[in-house]
Amino acid sequence: MSSEFNNRPRLRSLVLLGGLFCLALSVSTVLAEENIDAAPIVISQANSTRALTAVSMRQGLNSTTHVFQPGAKTRITVFITNIELLSDEGMTAFRADAEDGRHYRYPLQIVSLAPTAERKWVYALTLKLHSGMGDVGDVLLRVNWRGMASNRVRVAIGHEGDGLKDDEGAQPTPMPDRPPRIEQIDSVGLPFTGDRVRFMEQATFGPNATLENQLRRTSYSTWIFQQMEQKRDANNGLRFSTFPYPNLQLQPVAIPSTCDVICQRDNYSMYPLQNWFFREALYGEDQQLRRRAAWALHQIFVVSGRETVQPSRMLPYLQVLDRHAFGNYRDLLKDITLNPAMGNYLDMAISTRQSPNENYAREILQLFSIGLDMLNPDGTPMLDSQGNRIPTYDQATVNGFTKVFTGWSFCEDTAVCPNRTQGTPNFKDPMLLRAANHDQTAKQILSYPGAVSTIPAGQTGEQDFEAALDNIFYHPNVAPFISKLLIQQFVTSNPTSAYVKRVADVFNDQLGGGIDRGNLGRVIRAILLDPEARGNNKSDPDYGHLKEPVLFVTNVLRPFSPTANIGAPANCNGLSDGVINGVTIALDQDVFNPPSVFNYYSLDYTLPNTNLFAPEFAILTTGTALKRPNFIHQMFGPGTNGATGITIIQNQTITQNQIPCGTRVNLTRYLTLAQSDLTGTLLVDTLNRELMHGAMSPVVRNEILTAVQAVASNNPLRRTQTVIYLITTSSQYQVLR
Amino acid sequence: MKDRREFLKTSCRALSMAALATQMRHFGLINALAQDKETDNASGGNYKALVCVFLAGGNDSNNTVIPNYDAGYGQYAAARQSQGLAIARSSLLSISPASLSGQTYGFHPSMTDLHTLWGQNKLAVVCNVGTLMQTLTRAQYQSGAARPMQLFSHTNQVEQFKTAISNYSSPTGWGGRLSDRTANQNGGAAIPMISQLSSGANVFAVGNNSTPLIVAPAPTPLNQLLTLNGFGTATDDFARRTAMNNIRQADLNYTLTQAASTLTQQAINVSQQLSSDPALTVTFPNTSLGNQLQQVAKLMKFRSQLNMSRQVFYVQLGGFDTHGNQLTNHASLWTQVSQALKAFYDETVAQGISADVTTFTMSDFNRTLNPSGSGSGVGTDHAWGGHHLVLGGSVLGGNFYGRPTANGTIFPTLVNAGPDDAETRGRLIPSVSVEQYAATLARWFGLSQNDIPLVFPNINSFSGSDLGFMV
Repeated sequence: MSSEFNNRPRLRSLVLLGGLFCLALSVSTVLAEENIDAAPIVISQANSTRALTAVSMRQGLNSTTHVFQPGAKTRITVFITNIELLSDEGMTAFRADAEDGRHYRYPLQIVSLAPTAERKWVYALTLKLHSGMGDVGDVLLRVNWRGMASNRVRVAIGHEGDGLKDDEGAQPTPMPDRPPRIEQIDSVGLPFTGDRVRFMEQATFGPNATLENQLRRTSYSTWIFQQMEQKRDANNGLRFSTFPYPNLQLQPVAIPSTCDVICQRDNYSMYPLQNWFFREALYGEDQQLRRRAAWALHQIFVVSGRETVQPSRMLPYLQVLDRHAFGNYRDLLKDITLNPAMGNYLDMAISTRQSPNENYAREILQLFSIGLDMLNPDGTPMLDSQGNRIPTYDQATVNGFTKVFTGWSFCEDTAVCPNRTQGTPNFKDPMLLRAANHDQTAKQILSYPGAVSTIPAGQTGEQDFEAALDNIFYHPNVAPFISKLLIQQFVTSNPTSAYVKRVADVFNDQLGGGIDRGNLGRVIRAILLDPEARGNNKSDPDYGHLKEPVLFVTNVLRPFSPTANIGAPANCNGLSDGVINGVTIALDQDVFNPPSVFNYYSLDYTLPNTNLFAPEFAILTTGTALKRPNFIHQMFGPGTNGATGITIIQNQTITQNQIPCGTRVNLTRYLTLAQSDLTGTLLVDTLNRELMHGAMSPVVRNEILTAVQAVASNNPLRRTQTVIYLITTSSQYQVLR
Repeated sequence: MKDRREFLKTSCRALSMAALATQMRHFGLINALAQDKETDNASGGNYKALVCVFLAGGNDSNNTVIPNYDAGYGQYAAARQSQGLAIARSSLLSISPASLSGQTYGFHPSMTDLHTLWGQNKLAVVCNVGTLMQTLTRAQYQSGAARPMQLFSHTNQVEQFKTAISNYSSPTGWGGRLSDRTANQNGGAAIPMISQLSSGANVFAVGNNSTPLIVAPAPTPLNQLLTLNGFGTATDDFARRTAMNNIRQADLNYTLTQAASTLTQQAINVSQQLSSDPALTVTFPNTSLGNQLQQVAKLMKFRSQLNMSRQVFYVQLGGFDTHGNQLTNHASLWTQVSQALKAFYDETVAQGISADVTTFTMSDFNRTLNPSGSGSGVGTDHAWGGHHLVLGGSVLGGNFYGRPTANGTIFPTLVNAGPDDAETRGRLIPSVSVEQYAATLARWFGLSQNDIPLVFPNINSFSGSDLGFMV
């Protein structure tokens, strides 16, 4: 093993001592907050929207109309401006497409990007035509950068004509003589700017006025720092949730005959944890970002309550995610591997030298760390000389890791297992090695430049374990693989490879020489502050991601002051108890009960007919699509009482404390707006800002205004409900973009 | 313009290439081309349906179809009797497949209704089916020859049975790809070709251009499956509904927004299509599978209103992961399967479509011949190749089908560490691949010979894509 590996833990603790400084310093490297709304401009001819093009850089600008030959060999150079690139930002930060007269939209591969000699603020962007594009005539060509779409310019393929009309409002964008003045939008102090609302959607379980107010007066960086800073409970212990975790005891494996329906609900189902989770999501203001991060990590390092059964067994697993959400990936990997619920779920707990089980060995590689294919630092697949993907490991490697993980099982030694409980497996303490069950033969592990790809025979199980986890941790795939999954959870399903690389560089601690490799707090901060995440309005057509059911439900509730349902028992204390899971079950997301290790939805699900990732669409189906508006109707529908989550338990003697409170919303704040402006405009525009980043298109705004005006003006509640219904049931709202 | 098939092939090749992989996105391209109707092989009004019954958890088919001749039962009993897992020979429902002359077999005693259907030559058994990359002998397996990823693991083996691809994780299933390739035979169907009666993402039903209709089982009436609540007859309700419909048509230039609106629109279209709840002739058992199949029968009865000549259904029954207490649980599960399938078959007879509907089983895997535990709690662990049932009027029933195992017959040798065991506990090496089993069904359904390798990319690794159990 290399000395670098041996030194790693010591170096990291040094970094932690100076952690404050590290975090503060890293901010400036990520984002200059101005210019967040700059969109690239593709340069056209002086008098038309036809592109100014060149066949190649050598031949210089072609100021006359040019018709390009169809075919994948043809390259076109166009010129773009109004962009300010980061030092390492290049062509991978851009995407381009062209639409022909039949509305077929072709992706165009970018082959180079370089500033022009005469005008440093103008860049030459060279593109390769799509092989499927025949003699289609005019196409409209667009360049996307940081989630922003350019104007579309006209390019002739094969012949002129037969194209679409120019986009509405399109103007010639001739070659500028001086750098364009980038419009500065000073949004400090403006309530509910588009960027701030999107930030709240990305970093929390939904916007609300209190948080908006706080962000308006400080900054994203400050808020992120406050969220990440250590918090302590009354006993000075570290606290990773706003509300206490439910107090859960390990139960007998077989449900005792005395355990009635409520007892089973509270001890043999995920119910107590689901309620705690939604309570955190709705009200846990000082842990919003940690909760989002832990929720994202749960969907990567999946354990399901379906096999874990007892909430007391699931809680320690969730606590590992909470504890390491802003910690180090290597520590997370260790604790999650030794977590008994994981050991049970992926069979490491029963894998022995005598009867090895491959399950965990395979999943830790495929799902938790490096994936199936070798990746470039920007997350794109590495290809061999024949253009094929390169597998990260083979069966012999799986066999090697299988041997590494043999011998660990539930902690049942009273001397070292404080939480051992007679008569039921210990799901609270980390798993323990039984040396006799560990395979001590030599093991093949991952091979990559700089790796020691074998573990010698005769080491202890603990030595094998640490060596194998280091072998995974230092694999070059980990940074782009994990970074991309987290970007998809927080920001967009289809990040540019430049965005992935910027975040992966932070994961690898490129600036610090790697000593703080795997710092998840810095990774999440880089994701949220990246220019591709920020901006008041995102116009790239492929930007964003669908709000999964949990985020949909909490995003809809949080802006409207959720509280306990009227008539609820006294123990609800004004806050609802988070009994919302029934809603998300109907939407195919039963919290902490994903159907398999492949999550509630497959993280690599692609939208049919496209190669666009759209993971959350795996559970937006004909069967669930109408249940979204039906939930909105239940909470906000005109004529309803706006309450949800009431569980009726029949044929049981129940006390008040056993009845769930449910959740209801409060629309008072908006009724005033509805009353003060009888045209409905104030109401619609306010909710446009607060729920839709102010990005509502004129068509949608008019539709909603028409519907509002159809409601009697003396009924402000019904008017308010109408606006909220129409916004939140729209795909424009449900896709976070 | 290139024809659609050639275009798809070119695109797929391009996809595996170069840095294009992430850049290259089809946008609306494939969809638009795929919608150019191929009318040359349209089928002209005939009807066919496939019904997949997934036995989730891994059915112990060693206790479903059991040798009932002296030597065969002897081997079975030797492997299972001492731990109390062998089904008594006297209780077997005897069957005599012509393809295994001189050997009699028996169904599990809970399968009385299925035994009746066997007697009517409507039910066939396909022996020793499982995930494979190539045919394997025990010696080849043990010397490390290529085998499916993650054998004996639920998630992977379920996925591989549903995708009919066992060397990588496929985002599309064979039901979905079959639907892609036969969509042109379905006229102007008002709803997706595949309906799924279980909830959640299910790769079987996802194709490149196909997504399933996911609906609740009976007793929810067909016309209440998909409903949009909250719209009364008031003027402002009408205005809100109009606005909602128009908003769904706006901002379609944003890809994900368009995708969500399209799905919602599809659900609303379906809800309008499913305008009534057809009455059935047969009374279905009020069980999980009974209720799912009852809904399937209703969707079939409604097919002409939906303008459908091809339908695929997916139903699922859980509980087959019998690591313990198998005797009781397995008996109860097969009682449920047997009764539900009989009711369903009888309903297809009543609808006059029994020859147009083929029902077949799939499962994670078979279970170990060697029991785990003993006594009343006895169970079995995850294994590999297993037997499957095919039911319908176009099935050449009353017989067993398959490919030769190590003993030369199509039925494997039930001996731990025997010639068909991958290891030592009776994990049978399949002699029939999922691809061959599925392709036989798909060909009957109308998949052209040329399209078979497109739906089943690894089919040419096996001898023959037709096992002969369909007319």
